[in-house]
Amino acid sequence: MKFLNNYSNRELNIWAELILDILVSFYFFPKIFPLIIDGQLYSDALVGIITTSIILAIVYSIVVFGAINALTKREEKDERDYIYELKSYRISYYLSHGGILGIICLIVFNALYQENIGLLTPPKIAMILLIIALLSSTGKSLTQLFNYRKNI
Amino acid sequence: MTQAELAEKASVTRQTIIALEAQKYSPSLELAFRIANVFDVPLEEAFQYN
Repeated sequence: MKFLNNYSNRELNIWAELILDILVSFYFFPKIFPLIIDGQLYSDALVGIITTSIILAIVYSIVVFGAINALTKREEKDERDYIYELKSYRISYYLSHGGILGIICLIVFNALYQENIGLLTPPKIAMILLIIALLSSTGKSLTQLFNYRKNI
Repeated sequence: MTQAELAEKASVTRQTIIALEAQKYSPSLELAFRIANVFDVPLEEAFQYN
């Protein structure tokens, strides 16, 4: 419990968010990519994977976030929190916009050189968007944690 | 006065007080005034620019 004193409630919540992102991606993507490659993305398996991911995320959130908020004192955001949040949103913005720009380039190149890159189907684009969203969220959490730890 | 007490009186988190003490964070003018008010000293006595 001593280590909890070194971390604020907000920092622990960000850590929990980061771990959730990593856990979901380690569960979701290795299972979903074979389905995309085999062209079975509209199968029942997909529904199962998505449902399991959502249920796991909800259970994790209830247990972990509940424990954090029960064990540590919840604090109001102060100016430092807002500054670090803004910095993290900036990184998140760059990552998401960079990703979207990447998708646009990929679509254009795919249209031009379809034989070399392979057909970009809507499910593939959806998965790339999910990866970008995940990277963006991870980047946001990491930036916040870096700023909090840098200044302690 | 403990860090937690100062944090509460200045309406910030204890981590912010820790960062201020370690000179790792520059407060806004408003926060600087609030902290100076807590100690009942002028701003220039509470904070100095090095």
